[in-house]
Amino acid sequence: MAETGRVVIVGVSTYWGSELARTLGRNPGVSEIIGIDTSPPEVDLGTAEFVEADIRNPVISRILPALDPDVVVHCGIVLYPERDRPSRALHDINVIGTLQLLAACEKVEKLKALVVRGSAAIYGSSPGAPAFFTEDMARRLPLVTRFQRDVSELEGYFDNFARRHPQITCCMLRFQTEVGPGLDNPFIRYLSLPVVPTQLGFDPRLQLLHSVDATGALAAATVNPVRGAVNVAPDGAISLSRLLKLSGRSSVGVPPVIAGVLLKRVGNLLGTGGMSKDGQILLRYGRGCDNRRLREEVGYEPAFDSEGAARDFAAKRHGMSAIFPSPHPGSPVRSLGR
Amino acid sequence: MSETGLELEWAQTVQDSMEKVLRRFAGEYHEDEYGFDEEFAEAVFPIWEFLYTRWWRVEVEGVSNVPGHGRSLLVANHSGAIFPFDAIMMGTAIQKEHPLPRWTRALVLNWAFDLPFVSYFIRRIGGVAANPANLSRLLGQDEQVMVFPEGAKGFGKPFGERYRVQRFGRGGFVEVALETGSPIVPVAVVGAEEIYPKLGESGVLARLSGAPYVPITPLFPMLGPLGLLPLPSRWRIEFLEPIDLSGYGPGAGEDRALVFDISEQIREMVQEALYRGLVKRGSAFL
Repeated sequence: MAETGRVVIVGVSTYWGSELARTLGRNPGVSEIIGIDTSPPEVDLGTAEFVEADIRNPVISRILPALDPDVVVHCGIVLYPERDRPSRALHDINVIGTLQLLAACEKVEKLKALVVRGSAAIYGSSPGAPAFFTEDMARRLPLVTRFQRDVSELEGYFDNFARRHPQITCCMLRFQTEVGPGLDNPFIRYLSLPVVPTQLGFDPRLQLLHSVDATGALAAATVNPVRGAVNVAPDGAISLSRLLKLSGRSSVGVPPVIAGVLLKRVGNLLGTGGMSKDGQILLRYGRGCDNRRLREEVGYEPAFDSEGAARDFAAKRHGMSAIFPSPHPGSPVRSLGR
Repeated sequence: MSETGLELEWAQTVQDSMEKVLRRFAGEYHEDEYGFDEEFAEAVFPIWEFLYTRWWRVEVEGVSNVPGHGRSLLVANHSGAIFPFDAIMMGTAIQKEHPLPRWTRALVLNWAFDLPFVSYFIRRIGGVAANPANLSRLLGQDEQVMVFPEGAKGFGKPFGERYRVQRFGRGGFVEVALETGSPIVPVAVVGAEEIYPKLGESGVLARLSGAPYVPITPLFPMLGPLGLLPLPSRWRIEFLEPIDLSGYGPGAGEDRALVFDISEQIREMVQEALYRGLVKRGSAFL
């Protein structure tokens, strides 16, 4: 195995950042792990060191080169706009943060690879979409939401950086919706509602990425980065109706026009937050991503397919008394003090 | 068989179907990665069978031209104006008449997936959004796919233009067939043009419903949902001999002239078969 060397994880206090740090800690090819975030992680990072810094601040351009990384992994992109973090606020973290980080990477001398944890939301969801998006299909559909435009914009900066620095392997990972025990995101909270409102007359095809695979793929791409975008998605797809049946949730169909407002009201009432526009569109039309590049080039074989992830999710949540999953110590919700 | 034997058998059948329903309610069934649900397709099949044998009295010619296994592309004329029964009847013909029956996928106009209920019904019986990426992936998985290259132009043409095959889009299906080395079976469907004779369009209803057009037929929308009852025309489906494209080799799909040539050739074959079929069928309804 090629020596990975010194890895800097940006956004290490997020769930995915700390999971990555702990996974890489077990990898002998990784000589040193340094985590950067605005606040210290609440979980033990193992062998990793922690540096407090904000990527939105230009000071990052002095801190990052001093750490002399071989690989930079950007886990600081927030993939789900929600009530506490509207898409306007995300613009600052996601676009400006990435831009500052890329500027800082310009100054790192021996950087070998840059890996970004991005989102499959760039593909959008639409009735006429391909059943499985391949990596070259980004921006094929009109970008309809603020968050989608943000993802597209930051990928634009990323592509530009990759073109200017052909000696650096720049890898953009596009993650599908993650599920897993102990995980917290708007989609999981949606599934946890006492009665799940679905859009009447629509039954989206979804891909559920198991948290084990989400971490595994991120670690695999850090050790073996490839150039360009890579979809991080499980095999197959599962319809929302079947997912709800498998997990024994009761659901009620509501007219699509009021689904968004209803979810917002219910979310405010129960403290779960609503569903962003991206989520609403996803829950109408669904989305599938092709994972051949992940399997064949990155060399990561997902352990769970969409159905397997759904079954595992259903089994592990069974018998939980709380409506909501207990947030993982490092989850963004917890660090926001919710 | 004795009377008790019959009763036992009947009780067994009831028990089996109850179990099946309960199992489905628990989510224990299979759907493939496109959302096709074979059990569901089997459950609604009797409806298509009734329409096939009783309602439209479909006659089939050349069903043995359809490959029994491996990738293949069925290219047919399109009509129906309200619901793509032509695709469903082609699939039913293959299920009923072919020595090696199989489920055939269909590429469906994108806006069908924006219609409530229709969207997931179509998906469950094997419909997939019409785009080259889906076609290429399905053929790559050795599936059999129906395409209707006329698209909405053929589907929604007025009754006066029935059986006149419209322009074949951009020929994307030929490109994909060349790339994937799939044989093309041209198909001529006679009868689907008369089930909903489209006399005009309602712009207001189209704007309200978001559909590209809303047809006006003698019964629809005048009679409301009852107007959705298709007329009992007499049908004839002819599967022509498969066209083998494997001789062109890889990269041929990028040759625009070749693609248009093949596409036009297929269009003419379908058109000629339609004229022949119309003569053979005779009266449209009796």
